[in-house]
Amino acid sequence: MDNNKSLFAPLALETPSHLASALAPPALSGHFDELRGCSSKAPTSQGSTLPLMQSASQGQGQSQFQSQSQGTAPGQNAQLLAKPWTTFFNCLGAEGFHDLNRRTANLRRQIRDNGVTYNVYADANGPQRPWSLDLFPMLLSPQDWADIEVGIKQRTRLLNHVMADVYGPQTLLSKGLLPAALVQGHPGYLRAMQGMQPAGGMFLHIAAFDLSRGPDGRWWVVSQRTQSPSGLGYMLENRLTISRLFPDAFREMKVQRLAASYKALVDGMRSLSPVADCRIVLLTPGPYNETYFEHAYLARYLGLSLVEGSDLLVRREHLFLKTLKGLEPVHGVFKRLDDEYLDPLELRSDSRLGVPGLLQVIRAGNVQVANAPGSAFLESSALLGFLPALSRHLLGETLSLPSLATWWCGEQAVMQDMLPMLKNCVIKPTYPGSGMDSVIGHTLSQRALDEWAGRIVRQGEDYTVQAYLPLSQTPTWQGEKIAPRSAMLRVFAVPDGAGAWQVLPGGLARLAGKNENIASMQHGGSSADVWALGGLMGSMGAGKATQPDVLPVARPGESHVPAPVNRKQPVTSRAAENLFWLGRYTERAENSLRLAQLSLQCLGGEDQSSPPLLAWLTDMAVANSLVLDTVPSAAHSRRVFERSLIAGLSSAGSPASVGSNLTALKSAASAVRERLSQEQWHVIERTDTDFLSRCEAFKAEGQLAAHAMEYSPIEALRALEAASGHLAAMTGAQADRMMRDDGWRLLSIGRYIERLSMLSAALARGFETGAVLENGGFSAMVALFDSTITFHAQYQQRRDIPALLDLLVLDRDNPRSLSWVMHTLKNRLAQLADSTSGDVSDLVSNLCEPHHWALTGADTARASPDNRAGYITLIEQLKNCQSSAFELSDRISRRYFSHATSASLSLGT
Amino acid sequence: MLLHVVHVTRYRYSPWVDNAHHAVHLKPASTARQTLLRHSLQISPLPAQQREIMDVYGNSRSFFSLQTSHGVLRVVASSVVSTSCAGQGCSNAEKSAVTAPPAMPWERVREQFRYRAGAAYNAAWEFVFASPYVPRDDAFTQFAQPSFAPGRPLSEAAHDLMERIYRTMVYESDSTEVNTPALAALQQGKGVCQDFAHIMVACCRAMGLPARYVSGYMLTQPPPGQPRLIGCDASHAWASIYCPAENGKGNSNGSDGAGQWLDFDPTNNRAPGEDYVTLATGRDFLDVSPLRGVIRGGSRHILQVAVTVAPIESLESLDGFESPGGHDAPTAAESLA
Repeated sequence: MDNNKSLFAPLALETPSHLASALAPPALSGHFDELRGCSSKAPTSQGSTLPLMQSASQGQGQSQFQSQSQGTAPGQNAQLLAKPWTTFFNCLGAEGFHDLNRRTANLRRQIRDNGVTYNVYADANGPQRPWSLDLFPMLLSPQDWADIEVGIKQRTRLLNHVMADVYGPQTLLSKGLLPAALVQGHPGYLRAMQGMQPAGGMFLHIAAFDLSRGPDGRWWVVSQRTQSPSGLGYMLENRLTISRLFPDAFREMKVQRLAASYKALVDGMRSLSPVADCRIVLLTPGPYNETYFEHAYLARYLGLSLVEGSDLLVRREHLFLKTLKGLEPVHGVFKRLDDEYLDPLELRSDSRLGVPGLLQVIRAGNVQVANAPGSAFLESSALLGFLPALSRHLLGETLSLPSLATWWCGEQAVMQDMLPMLKNCVIKPTYPGSGMDSVIGHTLSQRALDEWAGRIVRQGEDYTVQAYLPLSQTPTWQGEKIAPRSAMLRVFAVPDGAGAWQVLPGGLARLAGKNENIASMQHGGSSADVWALGGLMGSMGAGKATQPDVLPVARPGESHVPAPVNRKQPVTSRAAENLFWLGRYTERAENSLRLAQLSLQCLGGEDQSSPPLLAWLTDMAVANSLVLDTVPSAAHSRRVFERSLIAGLSSAGSPASVGSNLTALKSAASAVRERLSQEQWHVIERTDTDFLSRCEAFKAEGQLAAHAMEYSPIEALRALEAASGHLAAMTGAQADRMMRDDGWRLLSIGRYIERLSMLSAALARGFETGAVLENGGFSAMVALFDSTITFHAQYQQRRDIPALLDLLVLDRDNPRSLSWVMHTLKNRLAQLADSTSGDVSDLVSNLCEPHHWALTGADTARASPDNRAGYITLIEQLKNCQSSAFELSDRISRRYFSHATSASLSLGT
Repeated sequence: MLLHVVHVTRYRYSPWVDNAHHAVHLKPASTARQTLLRHSLQISPLPAQQREIMDVYGNSRSFFSLQTSHGVLRVVASSVVSTSCAGQGCSNAEKSAVTAPPAMPWERVREQFRYRAGAAYNAAWEFVFASPYVPRDDAFTQFAQPSFAPGRPLSEAAHDLMERIYRTMVYESDSTEVNTPALAALQQGKGVCQDFAHIMVACCRAMGLPARYVSGYMLTQPPPGQPRLIGCDASHAWASIYCPAENGKGNSNGSDGAGQWLDFDPTNNRAPGEDYVTLATGRDFLDVSPLRGVIRGGSRHILQVAVTVAPIESLESLDGFESPGGHDAPTAAESLA
């Protein structure tokens, strides 16, 4: 090996690669050691770890085993590192070595800041776990990568052929090359798709393959995913994070660039589309899916609209997207939804995630779907045993990259041969949905093995047996030392634009936990970036090495970065509705926060005994659900009222408490996450959790001090203050950092509707109770309108009603005055109408016009509790103003969101 | 025999349905035993789009969608089918199901549906596996076993199985929902024709034999002097078992080879004859369901299905029937339901 010469270097032991070697224990015996490029010494001879590979026999489809080993013999050069790792550590340098822990911290922070998550449990309340990524990449030498690339391209071509045959002439079935049990007997075979012919004959636009390296140094294909393979988003995010942490090594080692190839995912579909202006959407099952982060990420990165089934609609065998501007045609669907959910009319009738009629559109050839529905049967591990024969038959080629030896037990003779071999194998389910996990033979007792043999004899076709392969172990950084971890490599094939496929240069390595041989993100494993090293002639991507991975890439959190496709995304009706409610909840949260703060301040302030002020506060607190209407009024029992108010801040039972407003805000935001910047989403998440945890804390204290009956208003005020700081950041981002499209307009309309209704109600109650006619109430009202500073600046210490009305009702420059809010609201509605080519006259017809109100009567009124009667007209106008706000909200819902909300229902006779 | 079948499906919705997508299997097939002479499918309100396709089993399937708000959907399929005695079921002796029953032992049939590399393919493979309404379960194997003594000819075993289902199970209309899984019906010991058929199909598949589900109609008006058969008031269903040709070779071009499908009606313990009309065949009910749909709105709905099967003298005798005034005929039929 090249690095033999370093043995003779005088400072050999001080080079970083030697340091690395010293810090790294060898891989488990029997596993390939990626760091050292050789197999760790096995307890038995190397041949015995894979005894089955040479005796495999599945129908005509025996897996080939090529016995020449690429690995170095055990023991040789045990202290030296494989060439790529030597280069890696030498690029890192001694300094870099000491910097590894800081870089790890950096990595964690970046993952958290970018909001890279993986939903461990796929439900609304399940934890979102931060994505787990190791500091070190996995390195693939130019030769390794070249072999993988050739083999994967060939396999993708083969799988596409198999699918075309199964949904077409079915010669593989009739020649007995493929058992019907793996086609018609597989739930993934879709009869409704029989005879379909996708554009360009391209059934597969993406295929994922899981590979592992055996002790002999060879790469083996373990499984394949075609239905809706995940990992693309995480793979890119891993690359962006890790390449930045090792800039020198990344440049020096000629790592093949990944980002530029992603466009191929949709370019393939575009080039096959008969429509010039082809619209492609990314269909997601929704935010509760385990890899939703990735769906939003990819949609943003590829410039696709992220849609759920309810955003789409079929008319006359064509597919449409429901947008604010009406129905827009869709020509391509990049789907992340399992096939069986696609169309409740022909597939699972209980699916709420699909689009009724979609299969008819596909059969009519009016939409391309990546991948074409019906590919799931290709995912069965049982298929691996048949692929060599299928390859010879369909392509006239032998497979260049071998499959791990695999036997389907549905064939009597094969099953009989396999029964005595189970101990050295892995037993896998042939079909999905069995609930069975893979079972590793050598971990079982003899009795358990016998039980498995019994099951296999009874229902052989349900089981597939695969040779056991100890996964190669790649170095990971564990804080103080380098630790080897078993790794499974996932690579992706995508169209190359010329009717064939290319392999994205890189991959997603999944790492098993310590002492484990199963690498799975669901089971708590970690991941690593994969560097495919360039340098071989003719290797794809080598020519692209000058395109940096780091710069032109859209950060997941930033909507202003140009997407590869420069087209304005339409606003789907569902997104519009969620944005509207995001606006309303933002404003409502802000108002309820301010009201709660104000109430607590007043109750502890110098006017705490003024009956009109207490009556007004009580009214407002009840109207805004800060306290239940059964709670004694503040005038009646100030302390009970105060305590209830504090206890209710985080209460989930009360429909509009501060806490539940924040939670509702978050939930609306999460449905439009792909439209929010990462910072924005981050603030929203933090506001909610931070506020609720603060409330829990002072509630707990309050209970401890229960005998003293002390609910601390000071703690509560602090929590409210912190939340209001966060809300200011949120509204700032809404005003300044969002694309001003129709979606944003609806968000803004939502906010102003809420503001209008809250403020007009507050003012009306202020006059009704007479609170504004006193000093304390007057200041409180100005404060609730967030206009204290302006008022003081404009009117100094005057406290008369005309000044108050001037600022809070008439002033067209004060963003909290009713006139300003109404004026802005009308403007937004007009802009929305312009853009959706509608007419707003029916929306605005009954809206009140505060700037035309005759307030002269009030002008002469003296500020005293005795002449409330002088404000009857004003109170009436204010109440109308509130009800017209609600009415407007209903009209907007009917006009823009109605078709987004009604659920569909399946019938059958 | 010349049979006129009118199949009326009516949904009343509340609130009204805004738009709907439907798929129907309502057009009888032309087979060796029956010829479709006339067929019409009337849908109200008028669909915005409609298309007829041939499904993977060779059945005619129609898709249509409605884009106008509607409170009632009414689908009337009217067919005239000429049935014949060809093949099984036409012997006057009620119990002798099959003319010239194939004598192949059932195990030899099973062997043909076990995969061996390069073995001949047969389209009947499609019907060996479990399907959504016919899951695999030991209960079916246990129920089936007494009928499948070693070496017994398939047709004889199947006939015995049919008879045992007929004797064990109680026919009880409304005892099961449309989507009662066959297993639940077997455990309850009662069901409707659909359940009887599913159980028979499941038992055959449990023994490794291809079996399919047939939906259709039967003449419910008994011939003079004979008792009225138990049938479904709506459509009927029975089972069909594949029996390979005696030379045992399927045909490698994917056809059924020289084999034949033998029909058994476990609800009536007899072989379907010329008084039966086949509508569609599939793995189970789900493949051939007469009408499926996905609607928006209509959270409450009432379904009414009415089927009449009547023998007619000749096509000419029907001419008044199909005229505009003939619309009343299905309405009259509904009142029977």
